[in-house]
Amino acid sequence: MTEVQRPSILVVDDNHDNTDIIRHYLEVRGYPITVAHDGEEALAAFEAVRPQLVLLDVMMPGRDGWEVCRLMKQHPALGKGVRIIMVTALDEWDDKRQALQTGADDYVSKPFDLAKLAATVERNVALLPAGT
Amino acid sequence: MSQNVLLTDAAEPAVTEAAALLDGWRAEVVAPPDLAAAVASAPGVGAVLVATGNPNALRDAVEAARRRGAPVIVGCPDDAVRRRALELRVDEWFLLPATADEIAARVRSAVARRVPSGAALHDRVGRVEYESMLYDFLTGLPTLPVMIERSRALIKERGELVVLYLNFVRYSKIEEIYGWEKLDAVLETTASAVQGFLAESALSTSRVMVSARNDDDFVFFHVPAAGVAVATDAEITELVRRLERHVAEKIEAQHGEEIATLFDIYVGRAHVYYNPKMRLERLIYRGIREAANAAKGIEERERGRKVADLRTALRDRAVYIDYHPIVVAGTREVFGHEALARGVMRALRSPEVMFEVAAEADLIWELSRLCRARAVEGMQSKLGPGELLFLNVDPHDFADPVFNEEFESEIAEPHRIVIEITERTAIKEYPKFRERMKALRARGYRFAVDDAGSGYAGLGSIANLEPDFIKLDMSLINCIDTNFIKQNLVETMVRFANDQKAMVIAEGVERAEEFETVKQLGVHLVQGFYLHRPEERQEEERLAARG
Repeated sequence: MTEVQRPSILVVDDNHDNTDIIRHYLEVRGYPITVAHDGEEALAAFEAVRPQLVLLDVMMPGRDGWEVCRLMKQHPALGKGVRIIMVTALDEWDDKRQALQTGADDYVSKPFDLAKLAATVERNVALLPAGT
Repeated sequence: MSQNVLLTDAAEPAVTEAAALLDGWRAEVVAPPDLAAAVASAPGVGAVLVATGNPNALRDAVEAARRRGAPVIVGCPDDAVRRRALELRVDEWFLLPATADEIAARVRSAVARRVPSGAALHDRVGRVEYESMLYDFLTGLPTLPVMIERSRALIKERGELVVLYLNFVRYSKIEEIYGWEKLDAVLETTASAVQGFLAESALSTSRVMVSARNDDDFVFFHVPAAGVAVATDAEITELVRRLERHVAEKIEAQHGEEIATLFDIYVGRAHVYYNPKMRLERLIYRGIREAANAAKGIEERERGRKVADLRTALRDRAVYIDYHPIVVAGTREVFGHEALARGVMRALRSPEVMFEVAAEADLIWELSRLCRARAVEGMQSKLGPGELLFLNVDPHDFADPVFNEEFESEIAEPHRIVIEITERTAIKEYPKFRERMKALRARGYRFAVDDAGSGYAGLGSIANLEPDFIKLDMSLINCIDTNFIKQNLVETMVRFANDQKAMVIAEGVERAEEFETVKQLGVHLVQGFYLHRPEERQEEERLAARG
């Protein structure tokens, strides 16, 4: 296979419409996508698929995105290699501080501007360690 | 020897070759319509490789494989099949045609990481959760319940056990200053240093187990090996001494002296003797408590010694000042220096430790006065003409009558002095503060807010202080080149400062990438190890302080 291997992305959102849109949009751009719809599923998929990038919605029933983000970043084997983009509006200063506390690397606001989403994904992909 | 079967509907030679590349595998090829049935019935199926372009046949094969618990790899002739395969959440996929190497790699990775689904997935989550409680997530060390279970039989057999309690004391709130990632990294270093040391120590012939008790303490169980006597007190004392040194060296080597001096390690010990009349867990927990108390006792004795050292230092004026340059981001010209006081004695080298000891012994005003006096004394010889001196002032200093006298009359060039106050404490004391600040401003002093952005307080509380300089908290600068949220925060701060006619200082810049990023974000001034070699200067200062 000659195609360049794009890094795999885990998309987490409890809204199926959102995950469908994002999956389609990013798959067309060549990213292997895995989808999860709640925190538990996201954590299991994180261990199984070992994505290099996670798009993580904050508002989810059960474990919310912040908690999932912290757990992923604290993962002994995978935490250091993953970049996490929170899907939420971080308007206030302390929202951003809170995001930093959980280890998040970037954020993108809802509702989706797909071009912006792609740009955000790309600038994070560019920072992934070489050879992954 | 039993072989894994790679069951497939692909007649291509590449697939058979791929199976040959995998150790202990062989390919079994069936006609595409028969694949699902074969998956259900064939013996020894290790994985299923589907290459059909028929979506229904693909679905049937995947479902059959899932019922069997075999991973599925899909060779996709086109994009439609690829999307279908992703929808079915198959374990791996590749585009056809593919080389044998490629196919073998896909099979290998699919087998290595099966994507569990449905009930299996939730089961797995539950198990992972319980497992994570048994082992410390950070260090991978077992927790106490695991250790007790493991040692139960051994202790009964050998009759005794030595508990060592390693009390890991951290001065200042390292997490608050450097962020939790830093503390995690230090704890990881500690755990691996401890494990490495024990593996090589004389005790390794006997049974040593280590547990991470909570976020920063460790517990060791030493159970003598059969036929070997339990270590004597003298042996343990020697061991503990070497262990303390070993851990301190490892932390210093990996995280620098700055961090290393913020930690102390005290080890307490207790003997536990097996007594069949008593429950073993209780005996062990009692032993741990006893060892922890012993460690605490040692810590208190050490603190007493440190207070005595501090009194001596105050009498002899044994404090030296490290002048950290603050440079203009664009030109790298020196703009000023932050004065950082350090103790001459090793135990008091770290300013955090020195001030913590002073606070406990109620000597904080005395120490602050000495540090300020030494910093101002050095201005002539250490600072270039016109360069500013950034002086750290704690809010409690404002209540010190001597402080006010000093700043009213004794300091010759108030316009060259910038008083740094920290955001962490400034917020609480705000009304009285402004009063004092106003008076000092009238004399020509300027103000910097230190650690800005460390709390959640936002920009409003900083605006209230009307600072001339805003020093960004180090945690915002660390790895800012790869974190877009930090970049966004710093950008906001710069915009805010420009509105307020204040200058932003980025502190803790250690790498070229961090320097370039903050420069691009419009930060005015920069401070950090990237811009100077602190060791040389420190050495120089240390000699000067002695002479």
